[in-house]
Formats: sequence, structure tokens, C-alpha cells
Amino acid sequence: MRIRKLSEGTINRIAAGEVLERPASAVKELVENAIDAGATQIDVVFRGGGKSLIRVTDNGCGMEKDDMHLALQRHATSKLQDDALINISTLGFRGEALPSIASVSRFSMTSRSRGMPDAFEVSVEAGHFSKPVPARLHEGTEITVRDLFYATPARLKFLKSDRSETTEAVDVVRRLALAHAGIGFTVVTEERQWLNTPANESPRARVSRLLGPEFMANALQINYVGEDFSIDGFASLPTYARGNGAQQFAFVNGRPVRDKLIAGAIKGAYSDVLPPGRFPALVMFIDCAADRVDVNVHPAKTEVRFREASQMRSAIIAAIRAPLATAGAKPDARKSLSALRAFSQTTWQPLSFSPHIAQTVLDLPMPVQGFSEEATAQPAFDYPMGMARAQLHDAFIVAQTANGFMLVDQHAAHERIVYERLKAESATGGVQVQPLLVPQVVEMDAVSVAAIASLQDELANLGLKLETFGETAVLVREIPAALSKANIGALVKAIADDVAEQGQSQWVQERMNHILATMACHYSVRAGRSLRIDEMNALLREMERTPNAGQCNHGRPTFIALNMKDIERLFGRT
Amino acid sequence: MRVTLEKSAFLKALNHVQSVVERRNTIPILSNVMIHAKGGEVKLTATDLDLEIVESVAADVAQEGAATVPAHMVYDIVRKLPDGAQLELNQAGDKGRVAIVAGRSRFALQALPPEDFPDLSSGEFGNTFTLASTELRFLIERTRFAISTEETRYYLNGIYFHEVKLGNHLRAVATDGHRLAQSQMALPAGAQDMPGIIVPRKTVLELVKLLEGDDGEVEVSISSQKIRFKAGKLVLTSKLIDGTFPDYERVIPRGNDKILVADAKQFAEAVDRVSTISFEKSRAVKLALGEGKLTMVVNNPDSGSAEEEIQVAYDREPMEIGFNSRYLLDVASQVKAETMRFEFNDAGSPTVVRDPKDEHSLFVLMPMRV
Repeated sequence: MRIRKLSEGTINRIAAGEVLERPASAVKELVENAIDAGATQIDVVFRGGGKSLIRVTDNGCGMEKDDMHLALQRHATSKLQDDALINISTLGFRGEALPSIASVSRFSMTSRSRGMPDAFEVSVEAGHFSKPVPARLHEGTEITVRDLFYATPARLKFLKSDRSETTEAVDVVRRLALAHAGIGFTVVTEERQWLNTPANESPRARVSRLLGPEFMANALQINYVGEDFSIDGFASLPTYARGNGAQQFAFVNGRPVRDKLIAGAIKGAYSDVLPPGRFPALVMFIDCAADRVDVNVHPAKTEVRFREASQMRSAIIAAIRAPLATAGAKPDARKSLSALRAFSQTTWQPLSFSPHIAQTVLDLPMPVQGFSEEATAQPAFDYPMGMARAQLHDAFIVAQTANGFMLVDQHAAHERIVYERLKAESATGGVQVQPLLVPQVVEMDAVSVAAIASLQDELANLGLKLETFGETAVLVREIPAALSKANIGALVKAIADDVAEQGQSQWVQERMNHILATMACHYSVRAGRSLRIDEMNALLREMERTPNAGQCNHGRPTFIALNMKDIERLFGRT
Repeated sequence: MRVTLEKSAFLKALNHVQSVVERRNTIPILSNVMIHAKGGEVKLTATDLDLEIVESVAADVAQEGAATVPAHMVYDIVRKLPDGAQLELNQAGDKGRVAIVAGRSRFALQALPPEDFPDLSSGEFGNTFTLASTELRFLIERTRFAISTEETRYYLNGIYFHEVKLGNHLRAVATDGHRLAQSQMALPAGAQDMPGIIVPRKTVLELVKLLEGDDGEVEVSISSQKIRFKAGKLVLTSKLIDGTFPDYERVIPRGNDKILVADAKQFAEAVDRVSTISFEKSRAVKLALGEGKLTMVVNNPDSGSAEEEIQVAYDREPMEIGFNSRYLLDVASQVKAETMRFEFNDAGSPTVVRDPKDEHSLFVLMPMRV
């Protein structure tokens, strides 16, 4: 068989296989082009799950008549000024999207360049380009894609239902809209308008519009400025966590990414306040010099590589932890709301008496009791957590604040306080190390061994001393005394997995913290212990001083706050 | 501060005071015991803010002073020292540390400033009187089983001590609303016109423990909010329950005329046996009174039934009445005589139980509807 060069059409269709996984990918490429063109309004029409029609209209800079054919050639782009791939400041740069889409669909493109009087249209079908013909359009570009994937029937077969393709496409635009608050977006399908954001919104208003006011009410502002990068955005309180990471939106220089390093850093930042398997909701914008990050990793550009990965990782952790630590006195708004709802739904159940067997009671008169001085003579409420008023069922503290009241879970709150104290103590006390009588050999694959060897010094500082033992094993000589009961093999492998995935590992730290958390539980006041007013106030004051006091070590809230307005509403007073 | 003391004396005192210290505290200094060296002794103080115990130990004080150290830790250290050891406590330049030196062992414990230690024992005490330790223990032991643990009626969470002008008695009463126990003694000199006071459950339990085996005298002082017991080297000060005890005399029946006298031991054993099959929670046992005999019946639809008959002295018309078996056993255990005396009215009214050998005490039980 002879070797022959593939035709241009086939090459484009192969490229389309990479770039265009599903209709949403086409939407992403087209909307990104519109953003790169400097548009302030981008409208998307999406029909039949993207298979019958995708139309993206923008008011960007448009194209000159003569450039229109070129734009549809492979590897033709206006976005890379010199051929260097170092300073990429646009979303696109590969010059692949348009020819790929055009090769698998019935495609037409209308554009009017800024300042030009006329618009022109070019259409492509089965690899044949029409001549530019005059058309009607305001400044900008409109791209119409019909019968997507008709040229690749195999791909067509593997698409999901129209419904889920639509959801996916809307999600793509939503992510881009989050990152570009200055641009107005609309998405319309045959059944309804999915998205409509006005142009020139503030980032906060845009996030609130797209993620809902409930997220905003439970979110903390992130703001971190590094040497030549910054991290902004909003991170949810730990108590607002979800069961999956779908509510995590990360952007690098305006580009939506799903990156392992970032996801790992987010997990690390919350590791102390969330149990495994819970994910915070979060919007994070990382802006850095274009040359610090390599976006040319994946055709769809959802992964990035940072030049100083571990520095970026610790910056993300620091950026999130700072507001989290001081958020002690910010109550979970969602919990307060559901508490209110529970109150307002209360109906009285008549007390039931067992007709058969009942203990009769002495007919003791109820004496008139005086007021206790302790409970009434309390000063004003200068404290965020308020003054303790009562204890309910020996488990919950009721504290009156300046504008409402707090309900505090005494065990959860005290557990956090003791935990933070133990952590501080262990940080100053240094790590106790247990050398092993017989060093343990842990067999792993060569990649894992190399990964873990790169962290040798760091792990030794944490008390885990190991060295490579041939190419496919490590020899563990010393372990932290606190982990003396741990399965060493499993521990080392877990660390290696983390390192391979994220270039870092928090495993040792997390395991040690877990042990401290168990101790904290043991040393803290339990439910069922009756507390005196002084003791309750001491607990409240300590909560105000303790980082992360808003949730216990398992991510449950330690208190909820109800304000007067809500209470009054319960009684119909407003 | 620098003192030398003997292990066993120190341990005994520490054991007494550390029992009020809670294992887990939101106020750190409440985990500590205060050690105050003055004159020829060391005074140890511990508190939970409601109750304070102070005990003195003879010591060789080289330099006076005060410090507070973690109570349970000091107790464990001293407990583990060899018997007969002499130990030295000293706090030199560093106010944040107290050193314990015994033989070749050296400990340095974290200390908190003694000025921050809560003081419960100060204040004016109006009435002061003295009674024998055995008498005080008797009043408490006869009544404490009936103290309520339910907190909505907090004024029942203790023993009510008060003066009874008629017959000049000091009387103790406790009730949980289902049963009532009362015991009294001759009013000690100095207790005239004392206010009625409610002493919390934890305080009386602690007091009984501390006075165990003691046959000396106890000095009691009362203020409107506190009570103080002094016995030898030991001083216990407690807050009183801030409330009004109900007019309990109204519920003690005066005219119950159906008298039944049973052998106390036989009665208790029979109740215990038949209640084996009753519900865990209600434990109802039905008493069927007939001439010369008492039948105890328990019916449990889930597990079966039980019946036992004992010989008693009873000559009135037959009747049936139900009780919580636990309450019957509690009362029976208070009876020191060989027999116990029941005074019934009817199946829905309170029943009085007496110990024929103890004219100072009486017990009231409410029946169950069965």
C-alpha cells in the first residue's frame, strides 16, 4: 500500500475530532472568538441540541472582506502577533476552530469590519468556499452553523440527548460570562432564554446573577496579590459545601479551566474545615503575566501549566484560607433560613397520654419563683457572638446579640476551639519522630518513587524520613510518632499519588490534623453538660478569637444566627 | 512559694478537692486547683463555680505564696509517687510554672495566676449552727433518693432544709413529683429563724462522700445564696438553688386509715422478682390487698405475667393499687426495721410509707394507673 498525504478536508475533520467534542465545544470556540474580537454583546442561538443550529452574533471588530477566506484556512489566525507561543493574551491562538467547525457542518460567516460600510458573507459546504457576497449586518461578526457533525456521522451517534447538550452549552457560556462581566451574553433555544446578562456589570453583580444570591450570602471575598499575579473571587463558607465540584469555577486570565492543580489547592485550603467528599462552591479568577502560564497543553485549553506550580498552589491556599480563618463570626445564611422555615412550620401536636399505664403525680403547688439575678443583670451586646442567655437541653447555648440571637452547638464550638489550640501547640512543639526498628520497604512503580523522592526533604521535616530503594521501592526509616499506628505502605502510596497528581502532598499534615481532631473531640465539652452563664460567655468570647470558629472539624456549623427582622417576620410584624 | 509536705496527706486532700473539677472546661482556670501556702499549712481549693471545696494539709512552709495548677494532673502525679515520699512544691521566678520535686522526680507544671481563681467562700453568713456529722448524713441519706433530676422544675433539684416551729425540728424534704421523702432532727442551737434553703443535688452527694466515716461535728453557715459546711480541715461552700420550694405539706395525706404491715425484706425481694418481666420504662407492679395477704402482680403483654403472694398484717376491705416497682424498692431500702408500714387510702391517692423504728422520717408515693 502506498503512503499518501491526507486531503485538507480530512485533516480538518480529524482536527475537528479533537477540538469539537460536542456542540458545546463549538459554542465555546465561537464565543471565545467573539470575546477576542472585543465584543461587548454576544448572542447565542442554539437549536435542536446544537445539531440543527448554532448561531453566534457579536459586535466585535469584524473582519475585512479579504481576510474572510483566510480565516477559514487551517492555522490562520489574527491572534498571534509574532510566532512566539510565550505571550498568549487571547483565548484562542491555534487557528483551528473555524476550519474544524466548517469542515463538519453547513457553515456561513457574515462580518462587517469596524468602520467599513458593508458586510460580506461567506459560506462553506462540503469543503467548498463560496465567494464573499454582500450581506446585511451591523459591525461585528455572525457565524451560523447548521447540521453540525453531518459530515462525521460517527460523532453524531455519540451525542447525548438534546437536553443535556443544551445544558452543557449553556454551562460553557455561563462560565465565560462569569469571567467577562463587562460583556453582555444571551443564550436562546427554541424553548426559552437560558441566559441574559447585561453588559458592564461589576464582577460581584455578575457572580451573584449567575450563581444566585444564596451563594453570595454565604461567600467570602478572596483577594490575594502576589508578586506578578493576583487571585480574586468568592469562596463559599465550608457549611455551604456541595457533594461534588460542579460549583467550582476557576479562571486563568479570563479562561475557564478545569485544572488538577487548582482543584487540589482548593481541596487543600478547605482540608481543615471540610470532610473528604464535600466540595465548596467557589469562583476564582487568577490573573498573571501571560508568560507565567502555558495554556497550550490541550486542544480545548481547559488545562494550564503554571511556571512555578508549587508557588501558585500555596498562593491559592493562602488566598482562600485568609478570609476563611477570619470568617468565624459569619453565620451560614442558608442554615439560618432553614431554621426560620422550621420555626414557621411548627404546629402543635396535642400531648398524648397513655390511657393504660400512667404514673400519677403529687399535687404539688407551683410556687412563684423570683428572677435570678444572673440571667437578668447582663450588660449590652458589644460582642459579635452576643451574651449567653440560656442553655437548651444541656446542648445548645442561646446568646442575645445586638440585632438578634445566636444558637450555638456547645460541643461543636468547643471542639473547634480545642482543635485550633492543639494545632497551635503542635506547631510550636515540633514533630516527634519514631524511628523504625526494621525499615519498611514500600514497593511502588518507578514514577511514584521518583515523585516521592522529589519531596524527600519536605517529608523529612514532617517526620517521615524515607529514601529510594532501587527504582521501584522506597525505604521508610522514620515516621511521625503521632502516626505510629498508621499503615505505612498506604500512607506512602497516598502521598505518591498526590505528588503525581498535584506536585504536592498534604497527606502527612492531614493525617496529623485528623489525630488532633480526635483528641479535640475528647477534650471538649460534650452535649449533656450543663454550663453556667459564665462558662457559656467564656465559650462565646473564645469563639470570637478562634479561626474557623464557624464550623466544627467535620464542616458542620457551630452556630446559626437569627436576626430581629426575621424573627419579627415570623410573627407577621413587618 | 516553697513548701514541703508528705505524700499521703497531700494525696488525701487532693482527692477530696479534685472531685469537683470537671474534666472538660470552657474556662481554663476551673481545671486547676489553687494551692495556698500560709502559716504551717497548705490550703487546697477547687471549684466548679457552684461548689467549692477547700481542704488544709499540714506542711512545712519555707516561703508563703499561692499558685494554681491543673488539678487532675497534680493528683495523678502525687498518686504515682512512692508511699512515704516527701515532696516539695515551689514557684520561683517564673510565675507561669510550679515545680514539684520528690526524690529524683522533677515536674514543672503550667500555672495560672491565683488572682483569677473564682472565690465562692467570701460573703456574709447569717445563721451558723453545729450538728453531728452522723445526723447530717442521716437527713441527707433518707431523702436524697427522691431529688428530682428534671430541670424545668429546678427548685426540686435539691434537698429543702428548713426549720419546723412545731416541735422545734430541722427538717429535710425532697421530692420529684412522684414521691416525697422527709426526715427531721431536733433543731440545733443557732438554727432558729434560719431561712428555708434548697441545697443542690451535687452538693449533698459530694458532702456525703466527703463526710463518709466521719463522726465529728459539722459547722453549717447559711446566707441567702450560699451554704458552708466546715468539718475538721475541710470546708465545702455551695451556691443554693435560687427558688422557692413548694408547699409540700399539702400533699402528705393525714387520714389514710388502711394500714398494712409487711416484712420489709420479703416485700422488697418479691417486688424485685415480679418486676423482672415488666416494661423497662414503666415497671408497674399491681398490689392486691386481701385479708392477711398481699399479692403482687405484673402483666406484660409482650413477655408474660408474674405473681407472688406474701403474708402481711391487713384487716380491711380488699383493694388494688399500682406502683412503679423502682419507687417501691427505693423506699423499702430506706427501712431499717424488720417491717414496713403502708398507709393507703384508695387506688388513686398518695400512700404513706413509714419505718416503724424511725419516727423522724416518712415517705409518700403516688400510685400508677394500671
